[in-house]
Amino acid sequence: MRGNTRRRIGVVAAMGAATMLALTACAGNAAAPTDEAPQLELSDEPVTLSFTWWGNDTRHAITEELIAAFEAEHPNITIEPQYTDWAGYWDKLSTSVAAGDIPDIIQMDEKQLSTYAANGVLMDLGGLSSVLSTEDYPEAVLGTGALDGTQYGVPVGINSYTIIANQDLLDQYGVDLPDDETWTWDDFIATAQEVAEASGGAVSGTQSWGFEDGGLNNWLRQHDSALYDADGEIAASEEDLAGWWEFLLDATKDGATPDPAATIERESGGLAESFTATNQSAFGPWWSNQVQALRDASGQDLVALRVPTSKGASDGWAYYKPSMFWSASAKTEHPAEVATFLDFLANSEEAADLLLAERGVPANEKIRDYITPKLDEVNQTVVGFLDDLAPQVGDAPAATPPGGGVIEAIIDQHTQQVLFGEMTPDEAAASFLEQLQQALEDAAV
Amino acid sequence: MSALGELRRIKGTSAPKSRKQNTAAFLFLLPWFIGLALITVGPMAASFALSFTRYNLLSPPRFIGIENYLRMLQDERLHTALAVTFQYVFISVPLQLGLALALAILLDRGLRGLSLYRSAFYLPSLLGASVAIAILWRQLFGVDGLVNVVLGWFGIEGQGWISNPETALGTLMILNVWTFGAPMVIFLAGLRQIPVMYYEAASVDGANRWQQFRRITLPMLTPIIFFNLILQLIGAFQSFTQAFVVSGGTGGPVDSTLFYTLYLYQQGFANLNMGYASAMAWLLLVIVAALTAINFWASKYWVFYDDQD
Amino acid sequence: MTKTDPSTDLSPLTESVVTGLPPERVREQRRRRHPFRKPLTSILRHVFLIAAAVLMLYPVIWMVVSSFRPTDLIFREAGLVFDSFEISNYVDGWNALTYPFNVYLLNSGLVVIGSIIGNLVSCSLAAYAFARLEFTGKKFWFAIMLLSIMLPIHVIIVPQYVLFSQLGWVNTFLPLIVPKLLATDAFFIFLMVQFIRGIPRELDEAARIDGAGHPRIFLQIILPLMVPALATVTIFTFIWTWNDFFSQLIFLTKPGLYTVPLALNAFQDAQSSTDFGELFAMSVVSLIPIFLIFLFGQRFLIKGIATTGIK
Repeated sequence: MRGNTRRRIGVVAAMGAATMLALTACAGNAAAPTDEAPQLELSDEPVTLSFTWWGNDTRHAITEELIAAFEAEHPNITIEPQYTDWAGYWDKLSTSVAAGDIPDIIQMDEKQLSTYAANGVLMDLGGLSSVLSTEDYPEAVLGTGALDGTQYGVPVGINSYTIIANQDLLDQYGVDLPDDETWTWDDFIATAQEVAEASGGAVSGTQSWGFEDGGLNNWLRQHDSALYDADGEIAASEEDLAGWWEFLLDATKDGATPDPAATIERESGGLAESFTATNQSAFGPWWSNQVQALRDASGQDLVALRVPTSKGASDGWAYYKPSMFWSASAKTEHPAEVATFLDFLANSEEAADLLLAERGVPANEKIRDYITPKLDEVNQTVVGFLDDLAPQVGDAPAATPPGGGVIEAIIDQHTQQVLFGEMTPDEAAASFLEQLQQALEDAAV
Repeated sequence: MSALGELRRIKGTSAPKSRKQNTAAFLFLLPWFIGLALITVGPMAASFALSFTRYNLLSPPRFIGIENYLRMLQDERLHTALAVTFQYVFISVPLQLGLALALAILLDRGLRGLSLYRSAFYLPSLLGASVAIAILWRQLFGVDGLVNVVLGWFGIEGQGWISNPETALGTLMILNVWTFGAPMVIFLAGLRQIPVMYYEAASVDGANRWQQFRRITLPMLTPIIFFNLILQLIGAFQSFTQAFVVSGGTGGPVDSTLFYTLYLYQQGFANLNMGYASAMAWLLLVIVAALTAINFWASKYWVFYDDQD
Repeated sequence: MTKTDPSTDLSPLTESVVTGLPPERVREQRRRRHPFRKPLTSILRHVFLIAAAVLMLYPVIWMVVSSFRPTDLIFREAGLVFDSFEISNYVDGWNALTYPFNVYLLNSGLVVIGSIIGNLVSCSLAAYAFARLEFTGKKFWFAIMLLSIMLPIHVIIVPQYVLFSQLGWVNTFLPLIVPKLLATDAFFIFLMVQFIRGIPRELDEAARIDGAGHPRIFLQIILPLMVPALATVTIFTFIWTWNDFFSQLIFLTKPGLYTVPLALNAFQDAQSSTDFGELFAMSVVSLIPIFLIFLFGQRFLIKGIATTGIK
């Protein structure tokens, strides 16, 4: 019996070892970088590339049209689409990388780019430059897809953080739209309070924020700080972080934002159930690429305003955030075809005609100029907003270091603690730094 | 015990002790053995091995000894998750099983339209994991939800049940109880499995309906009650989807619905800390296995098997 | 007597054969078996059940009603509002994705049928061994069986994916069906063990005296008597597989292979717009098969030992 058991354990161990071996062999281990750029020769043989993205059904339909247009031009290339929603996307991508099944073309997010790049999953797109041109991209924007000088992603669209104001609600309660060129955070809160009081509590002044990194980034930059430094270390100070949560908490106490329970409830519901989308809040912080979806949902006149400033903030705190990147697998067998497809996505007017602004206002300036007249009214306004902002835009924030992808979850968690009074802003700042540091250390390769 | 004794008396005979039937058993178990060897054991063993590594899915795992296990001692969110999960399991599982049993007996027979009622009570469990559930739950328990509207009729001021740290876990328990249709179905099947001859023999002895329920239905149903208990226990410890969709994956508000498996998922897939997630999984396995073992031991005192001697 | 009571499916004569009672006793017993025969209690019971059913079904009704409303109104003017009856959500939702929705229904159907067959065959075989046979290490293997369902899928799925990827099975239905053929849903083994143990051993003994071996006892005695358990397993496998999102997400990547949960998921994007009207409409559509399966499947669920013929 005992020998029997030992033999069983032996078998179990062997099975486990075999699977472990597979894991070890398959993971996207950093391939030794080769100095010479790969020879980019298009094959005459049929080539199949896999292409993965996240999004909703509108995006899936547009992207499949794109694929069809590309395949019509390149009959020997077949693009296999793989799509999911945002949450499922990362589970699936990391699992397939673990098994070595990396899709050839990957839609990548800024907060995940460095994590995947540092683990050798993504290709150095510089090696594709003979086919994939990036000359129509402004240096600063292109730089957001590069880490230590290596280009891992081509930025697709650009966004900016914005305060969305509901003009109809403001009119209804007789509150003037503030001047967003000069307004400060205090003006913002005062106006929000005014609306909340005028409506007798029927609508809230502003939707709360503190659930993603956009608001925090803006705040830190207005305080001459940043989330990360160029070395990938955390640069934010405990003091600035505490100040941010303090301000958020005061806004709630003063009645400018809804009570915490309502805020958290809407937050877990996503865009469609938000106060802004349901016309229950005069203001709300959003990204500029969400204006269209918000307008569709609310049916009212929504205006994108600049983020208020902190007193004494120096210029250049505003920034363009890349909505997403086109990246490629470091292990693809068909770099030439991948480059051809990426070039089609990034630089062709044909693709732009289909994409329009669905993945954000194009980061490629030539394409942006080409497509702007073809956009609908709402998106033209967004382009105008981004253009007007240009003088205030400073350097892009330092790239999110590997492991920083969880920052939204950490911010969200601490904002909840602060709003419900489980932590003081000071405690939240300390705990935030500790958890973010832990996440970065966990991700260190 | 008297009920069991009575059943044994009714049953009369007892099966003779049988010899080992290894060959037959092996053949009957063959598909399961193959599945165990090829599909179950490998990944389980791999996850055990991974629990001693740092593994981010993107690069090969690196051995770090028992560091992950030591870290669990320090991890406050893990302790929160354990507390949340234990509360959830020990409150919602008995409630759900009790309701399922009561309704199964009520819906067993003797009423017009039973199949429609059964379907109505079962329908909520079909909704299962869909996104719709989260939205529906906010429509019910949200600040402007139906529950507060109804409370308003009685002059009671409601609150955001779903996003208040005090009550959020309670709404998830209700959500779990709401899907009592699943264990109810198993109870219904179990009720129909009870041989009529027992009731016959009992009524010959002049037992009334209550006595029949106490002495026949309940003891004969104990294997199924026991099964449901184990099933719901293991299932509840692994509860994930409901908290995931209702809280938008955060386990909020303020980690009040941070189920163990939800935290494990966050660690494994969001933080890409699969080594740590694996260690967490094995801790869960030890806890659930221990509770299951205790239940099996305790079952000797209350579960009646017809094939026992 | 109600139509749904399965005991009326058989004549008292047949039942008397099954139970070994004289027909007049069966008739008398049937009368006694029906509690709550008084009209008042019966009405009270109906009132209670209807009230409970409405409470249970409110969220479902809300979803059905919302599926007929324009998306932008679902949240802006929430609540149970019967203000429009547009089937456009159904028409548009059906065709919103790469393939019409029937493709996803069919894919889910294939996975479900494969899983049901797999679970019924493999789990009942294993359950018979655990419930009726004596073999070496029985307790050990039983414990292993239970342990195998105690690890959360999230740590199992990556090694499993690696395994199936090596076999070249990713992007086929095989990783979803083959494990069921090999009884990896051990819950069902346990369930069937509990049911088989409720079947009197005298029946096996009688068959054995007639010279039946284990295959025959299994097929001719046990299986017919455990129809409720088989129905339970069928219904559960159907629902779990139909609703299973995570493993289908991981193993299926080609849109042509997408199942219903993956298709429903493709509608949404929390950061942008989700067409909830269409999403609800298709959710309702996807509920119909499971609802029908249950409505008709429960006949077998409640087909107890009393009504199953023993030949």
